[in-house]
Amino acid sequence: MQWIKEDVKQYIQAKEYVDTVIVPLIPYHLSKDSELEKNAFQSEVLSIFAKEIEKELSGRVMLSPNYYYLKSGSKEEELNRINSWSGDARTQPFNNIFFVTFDSAWKKDEQALDGTLIWLPGIQSGDLKSNELHSFIHDQVEQIGEYIKSYW
Amino acid sequence: MSEKKQQVSRRQFLNYTLTGVGGFMAAGMLVPMLRMAVDPVLQESAAGDLVNVGLAVEDITNEPQRVDWKIDQVDAWYESKVGKSAWVYKNDNDEIVALSPICKHLGCVVSWEGSEQFPDQFYCPCHGGRYHKDGQNIPGTPPTAPLDVYESKVENGMLYLGMAHPRGEA
Repeated sequence: MQWIKEDVKQYIQAKEYVDTVIVPLIPYHLSKDSELEKNAFQSEVLSIFAKEIEKELSGRVMLSPNYYYLKSGSKEEELNRINSWSGDARTQPFNNIFFVTFDSAWKKDEQALDGTLIWLPGIQSGDLKSNELHSFIHDQVEQIGEYIKSYW
Repeated sequence: MSEKKQQVSRRQFLNYTLTGVGGFMAAGMLVPMLRMAVDPVLQESAAGDLVNVGLAVEDITNEPQRVDWKIDQVDAWYESKVGKSAWVYKNDNDEIVALSPICKHLGCVVSWEGSEQFPDQFYCPCHGGRYHKDGQNIPGTPPTAPLDVYESKVENGMLYLGMAHPRGEA
């Protein structure tokens, strides 16, 4: 399920079946020209990625809106904010909270996150329309799906 | 004699020609406009078309296999490629069956023999919904309806699939 009216309507009726939130963590900045392309591309890929996972497991998963943060910003502040997202979800109760990201910076702070971090190394550049990328995403989605299922 | 020969006078001839040419030009202008006006009617709905899913009929076995394909979908804001998938197999009467993998409970994607405990069944990983091979839901599991069935046809040895319909409606 996604953060759209149709899905949310369904969610309210089937609350007891939905216990997992996925939050994509996506860095954003405009200050470093050399990294812009890479970060924008990763942001696109991660959004697609998150949607694909949601599609496979839509009946039990709520895909939250993307969480954007300033790459150069204070990690501590962001951690607080992210954890307040988790806190809000946990009251529902959503028992499983997953963060997906391409940003390795979160790996260091994994312990402080209220939820499970799924850090995906890899994709720096490529063509979103290419078949290789499609099958790459497809395979990754399958594996991450397996991983998420193991928590159920 | 000469009277009879001149049944078409010069004036008449010019009239006819001008009317003819004028009419032709008018039609040339009007027809595209008319076509534009009724265009939505003429356009075949993309959704209703059956699409070649890239699976040869001889490759279809009694064992359900997953096929994925893409269709163009236009909604109010976007035109996009939408991924579709189906579980395809031949039943005992040698008929091709294409089932939608979307669980009728809350819309997860089911897989054939997705759980080792339940061979020969479709299994939904989200809440343990199960279906028989023919798509019939198994009572006692969350789904309350059988899996949707795709419209299908075979052309030149390839499988074409269209829309998925709830069973009974198709």
